[in-house]
Amino acid sequence: MSNSPRIAITGSGAVCGAGLTVEKIWAAVINGQSAVTPITQWDAARWPVKVAAGVNGVKNQELVEDRKLHKSISRTDIFGIYAGGEAIKSSGIPSHRETLDAAMVPHFNDRSGLVVGSGGGTYSSNYEYFPLMTESGGDMRKFGAELGSSVNPMWLLKNLPNNVLCHVGIRHMFKGTNACITNQCAGGVLAVAEAAESLRTDEADRIAAVGHDTPIEPETVFGYHKLGLLSRDVLRPFDRTRSGTIFGEGAAAVMLEKFDNAQARKATILGEFLGHGCVTEAMGVVDLRPDGDGPARAIALALLDAGITTADVGMIVAHGNGTPASDASEAKGILCAFGGNPPPVTAFKWCVGHLLAASGILDLVLAIEALRHGVVPGVPTLNEVAAEFSSLPVSRDPQRPRSDVALVLCRGFGGMNVALVVRAAKP
Amino acid sequence: MSQRVRVAITGIGMVTPIGNTTAETWAGLRAGKSGAGPITIFDASGFSTRIGAEVKGFDFENAIADRKLLKLASRSHRFALNAAEQAFADAGIRPTAADAERWGFVVGAGMMGVSYEELESVHRHAAADGEFNPDGLLSPDYPADPIAFCRTQTNTGLSLLTKNFGIRGYATAVHTACSSGGQALGTALKVMRRGNVDAMIAGGFDSMLNPIGLSGFCLLGALSTDNDTPERASRPFDGTRNGFVLGEGAAFLVLEKWESARARGAMIYAELAGDGNSLSCYRITDTPPDGDGPIQAICQSLADARLKPEDIDYVNAHGTSTMMNDRSECVALGAVMGDHLPNFAVSSSKSCMGHLIAAAGAAEAAVCALAIRDGIAPVNANFATPDPQCSNINLVTGQSRPMRIRAALSNSLGFGGSNSSLTFRHPDFVEA
Repeated sequence: MSNSPRIAITGSGAVCGAGLTVEKIWAAVINGQSAVTPITQWDAARWPVKVAAGVNGVKNQELVEDRKLHKSISRTDIFGIYAGGEAIKSSGIPSHRETLDAAMVPHFNDRSGLVVGSGGGTYSSNYEYFPLMTESGGDMRKFGAELGSSVNPMWLLKNLPNNVLCHVGIRHMFKGTNACITNQCAGGVLAVAEAAESLRTDEADRIAAVGHDTPIEPETVFGYHKLGLLSRDVLRPFDRTRSGTIFGEGAAAVMLEKFDNAQARKATILGEFLGHGCVTEAMGVVDLRPDGDGPARAIALALLDAGITTADVGMIVAHGNGTPASDASEAKGILCAFGGNPPPVTAFKWCVGHLLAASGILDLVLAIEALRHGVVPGVPTLNEVAAEFSSLPVSRDPQRPRSDVALVLCRGFGGMNVALVVRAAKP
Repeated sequence: MSQRVRVAITGIGMVTPIGNTTAETWAGLRAGKSGAGPITIFDASGFSTRIGAEVKGFDFENAIADRKLLKLASRSHRFALNAAEQAFADAGIRPTAADAERWGFVVGAGMMGVSYEELESVHRHAAADGEFNPDGLLSPDYPADPIAFCRTQTNTGLSLLTKNFGIRGYATAVHTACSSGGQALGTALKVMRRGNVDAMIAGGFDSMLNPIGLSGFCLLGALSTDNDTPERASRPFDGTRNGFVLGEGAAFLVLEKWESARARGAMIYAELAGDGNSLSCYRITDTPPDGDGPIQAICQSLADARLKPEDIDYVNAHGTSTMMNDRSECVALGAVMGDHLPNFAVSSSKSCMGHLIAAAGAAEAAVCALAIRDGIAPVNANFATPDPQCSNINLVTGQSRPMRIRAALSNSLGFGGSNSSLTFRHPDFVEA
């Protein structure tokens, strides 16, 4: 991609159980403080799984001031609108826009794009119909007749999967190319990949990418538990005794710009987006190939796209969701792609939980922090790397990155595997 | 950028309210046949809108050969699997083990994962008194069926499609409400141009014809309430229009590199030539009266296809049959096309098929490809009373219009303000 423009990362934002700012979340990761706590969304005392990394004790107004808006959006949208706004604001683009000649602003807005990876919705959104279902007692005629007096007229709008796209757009007047990606866990990272491509192909001059999700709800916890995917206590990525993942919730976002534009307006450049790779293993909804085919191919494609080799990669942020099957196949994929000699590996879900559609983009935001701080955070919940992939260089203790380049891996249902490559700017 | 990858449409599959195959659907559209009628899937007699455009006579048990996979497939997933199978059969090419990594998949997926029966089960076990009690899910009689859970994941449709057809390259799902299908094809075009894959299948699927989906739109007052005349209820651009008719279905298009398609002697319907994409940033359900948003999408699509307004002979309008949406679209077309406005034909397939929501843009892209191949602008059915604010366009009224279509445009304008505009070109025009 030698003739495509370089892409600068000029802003980031995040919210999750570990904090409401990138700095706070990074501090939790580097200080070994897990955000996993007892579930507060409902009384889970009798539940087989009682923990998650929820965003607890935070009022919606702290994240999105406009209380009127709260009536027409859901909790996941609050997170997405907040994180997207933080990324855009921290990039300095809104204040830069204010310096422009008024006549230039419409074009500027049309050249400002937005891509969102959305969790797609929650099971509980449908529960607003339960009182009506009880009242109508299976009589659909009654259900239809009493609908208007029972259910919020805004119900559909509240639950649109593309609400964050709509409202971040309105709030920041980003009117250009856009997409809302509903590809489960891969949503957030694919938002970054598609955003970057929009700059490469000159569809936009600047574009924000957001991922958001809220899986901590009874039906999702129950379903994942029945599939054997959830840990009851601690998420131990790549550990011999790993027992499953733990949900988190929240959102993360990055602001991407053409590198030259960012330099010209003297923006603070956090890093550079280098490349992406996306594949599916085509195994159905939950099955994985044990041989690591997906991660290995995604890594190879991402490095090719970035125009670099395995030797250039300084650290890997693995998906590391802590489930037996995913971690084993991911480790195999990494070892295969890096010829048995990968750079230091880490993962962040032990701290922030698994944010599904927001997980990979949050990992990307934290990967940039790690590179900027020159440290690969340790995984404090790791006791002993499983024997079958013991050569994977993942550690309880912090490691040093080999270079200023990080590879971020994200995996999801549908056999999805996405790899992103990013270079950090010197702070 | 003269070396840009050119994308050919070589296969189409459709399951719609007016036909369970592409041929049947296309014949219905040319004849101006309506797919609307009283809702039969459930008792909708108490709803303010009791009509819809249902897929009829679809063989759900034999949507695809793989019975095991079908168990994981919801109503709309089955439409999708069948339509995709049709598209591959039509194209005469499909992924093989050798090239699976070079095939990609993009779907515009509906927002409704949970069926009403599944919701009733949760209600029965965990909310019988109307209030949700999570512990009810733990009761031993709650059918904790992992298959039901897997069926309701956000990307289940994509998962089943990639597995069934063995596609292992770039795969993704998008949802921007009513413009999902258009954005899916636009995304597919970009993925092919940048060389991530050599061939793709892209389209959309949806069914909101269930008590919850119908409720959502009834509550917003977006649907036509012409319950006694369902076949006349969807009348885009007519002065008496009063809302859209909720439809369902799926449509998929096989996309190949132009030279590869030519080399294997494939029949090429049309070139998928351009994509334009914008956010209105106005209100969540409305398109701006001045056409701002759709204007940029249409302009970009033409520019991306390297065409001028005078190259367009047919526009497949979003044309939902709601008062504001149709007006806004006419304003946008007027702003972009200027003096050329009388010279191209316009019709909305929603006049026949109803609104397929996340599948609409894909089905309408298929219609553009068919219109180009056969040289027919399909009729905008049910037009009787002019709307002075929509009279600037050259609407195909009465009957379908045989005409040479060098290039066509398909608009999709969604809730949430995402606008998608796709441009298609006739193969002769491409190679002239």
